[in-house]
Amino acid sequence: MLKEVHMPKLSPKSDQYFFGSWLKQPGDTVKVGDVLFEVETDKVISEVQSQENGILKTQDAQEGQATNVGDLVATIEVS
Amino acid sequence: MAEIKTKPNWLKVTYDQQKVDKMNHLLEGLALNTVCAEANCPNLGDCFGNGTASFMILGPNCTRSCRFCDVPHGQPAPVDLLEPARVAAATQKLHLTHVVVTSVDRDDLPDLGADQFVRVIQAIRELNPKTTIEVLTPDFQGKTELLDRVIAAKPDVFNHNMETVRSLTPKVRSRATYETSLKVLAYVKAHAPKDLFVKTGIMLGLGETDAEVYQLMTDLRAIDVDFLTIGQYVQPSDRHYPLKTWVPMTTYQAYYQMAVKKGFKFVASSPLVRSSYKAKEELEAVYNQ
Repeated sequence: MLKEVHMPKLSPKSDQYFFGSWLKQPGDTVKVGDVLFEVETDKVISEVQSQENGILKTQDAQEGQATNVGDLVATIEVS
Repeated sequence: MAEIKTKPNWLKVTYDQQKVDKMNHLLEGLALNTVCAEANCPNLGDCFGNGTASFMILGPNCTRSCRFCDVPHGQPAPVDLLEPARVAAATQKLHLTHVVVTSVDRDDLPDLGADQFVRVIQAIRELNPKTTIEVLTPDFQGKTELLDRVIAAKPDVFNHNMETVRSLTPKVRSRATYETSLKVLAYVKAHAPKDLFVKTGIMLGLGETDAEVYQLMTDLRAIDVDFLTIGQYVQPSDRHYPLKTWVPMTTYQAYYQMAVKKGFKFVASSPLVRSSYKAKEELEAVYNQ
């Protein structure tokens, strides 16, 4: 089953962040707790962890781009 | 919005949405403000993830507008006399063994908010007799009769932040002075029971020099302040006080060593340290010494 990963709310006062970098590539196995990507908010760089076990299928956010809370970021084929 | 690639790599935290959601769910319906959310704290994910939070009473609007701070400045709300019971209930619900209570500045109130601190301490203690209580207070304009009331309620830790060195205080803080804050800490240390710890914190990266930080430490030790926290200032927005430097880790280490040498009982010095971050572990470390 394919699960969508959406941008979580990482800062109480802002809904738009800069997408930092990917730490997993399409085809990589991901486990719950693995860091999927980094995002820069107003105050910090946040490492966002996977909530699923599976295989990263698609990266739907680009490094260096502005991204909003709720945006589709990735899909994971859950195992 | 943040500017990309402005932050050093060590200013990095892990964010677990499920744990934060769980904490938000627990806090829902309690009608309480946390300084974690109001000040947009970078450690929110970590603290909420571990089931801890610091409550901000008498808010959310502050009567001062310090240039470093992200807490909203605005029309203050009437004092909510049911708030102490809600903080006590939240402490119980979250199973907090150490609770940090802070507030906005309330220069509009005759007691400047001191009595609400007392009511909150009493309410927490009644419902959670084993929980240690740390207050992080405003300067109460240096009024000792107000400090006496808070001391009499016997918090375990009294924290009041110096925020920065002497030369930068007028530029960074609003209506607060270096002397008044020192006086507050000195008064509490001199008049509180011996088992009450006095604590303060500062931010780095505002343009302070090493010599100024060391002088601040000397000033604090001269009045026997027990705990010191040192962390990196992160400019909340373009409207706030401009960040001068990302202070390197070696400086935090040097300041830590100097602070320990000068006799503080506990020192936390690293970029993500905030005054209430890991406060429980701090107190436990001192109790275990």
